[in-house]
Amino acid sequence: MNHFARLGLPAALDLEPAALDRAYFALQRQWHPDRFVAKPPEERAKASTEAAALNDAYRTLKDPLSRAVYFAELKGVELPADGKTIDDPELLMEAMEAREELHEAGSAEAVHALAAKAREDMKNSLARLGSLFLRDDKPAIRKALLRLRYLDKFAEEARARRMNLERSSA
Amino acid sequence: MAYSEKLIDHYENPRNIGSLDKNSEDVGTGLVGAPACGDVMKLQIKVGADGLIEDAKFKTFGCGSAIASSSLVTEWVKGKTIDEAGTIKNTDIAKHLALPPVKIHCSVLAEDAIKAAIADYRAKTAKVDDPAKSTGKDESQAAAE
Repeated sequence: MNHFARLGLPAALDLEPAALDRAYFALQRQWHPDRFVAKPPEERAKASTEAAALNDAYRTLKDPLSRAVYFAELKGVELPADGKTIDDPELLMEAMEAREELHEAGSAEAVHALAAKAREDMKNSLARLGSLFLRDDKPAIRKALLRLRYLDKFAEEARARRMNLERSSA
Repeated sequence: MAYSEKLIDHYENPRNIGSLDKNSEDVGTGLVGAPACGDVMKLQIKVGADGLIEDAKFKTFGCGSAIASSSLVTEWVKGKTIDEAGTIKNTDIAKHLALPPVKIHCSVLAEDAIKAAIADYRAKTAKVDDPAKSTGKDESQAAAE
């Protein structure tokens, strides 16, 4: 069963966060181990398997980027697995230059500005994904998702760098 | 997780960080990435007239194991022919640095980076050696910018 079906939601790129939360919390109550303590072991085991699968589905669908990657997989777009490399020069040059810029940013404010730009870029890129799926343009979807992965990593690195800079200036 | 002394040494004192002129005819540039972890690695070689790699530089944004793997490779390839450098295997890198299993992919990145740098260098020299193509070189370079 795919993660959307498990939560009783239609498979879609865009999900209303409140609808996802509602579906998750209702099912989580239904499969809560406390309700199965007095039940036979098979039922207890099934409840715990369901609860784990439910958590996995919720985690995957909650974050817009991980949801987009998952939705793309359902649509037959394969992204490189762990340990697989890519050599797209345009994408990697952009990622390399962004990381260099971040590395050279000397103040928490400068890092903050770069992070804000990356977040804005992510938001816009995620918003544009919908039309790529409508056209079923798999290479473009793949490239957009890879680029988003690098933007996501950039945002993570920017947070770490900002904390370091704030700590050293405090 | 316990890291080996060699790995920590390469991470704390990385060799050959920097850049070579990517437009130079005797420089090959390899740019590779591992999207699953967001790493990006640039590895460059400068080949002398004698066919030996006389300089190598790298720039890696990634975890300590990725930095150590690329640092080690730049050290290894210096003084080698490009054919010899092309035989470097990720398993050699992983073994030398005693990379833990979850970090093996960092050595794969370094192997792919040196292979890409060699391929770039070969593509450049093939263009120079081929008189039919060398006339249109300036335009093709301008288009690639």
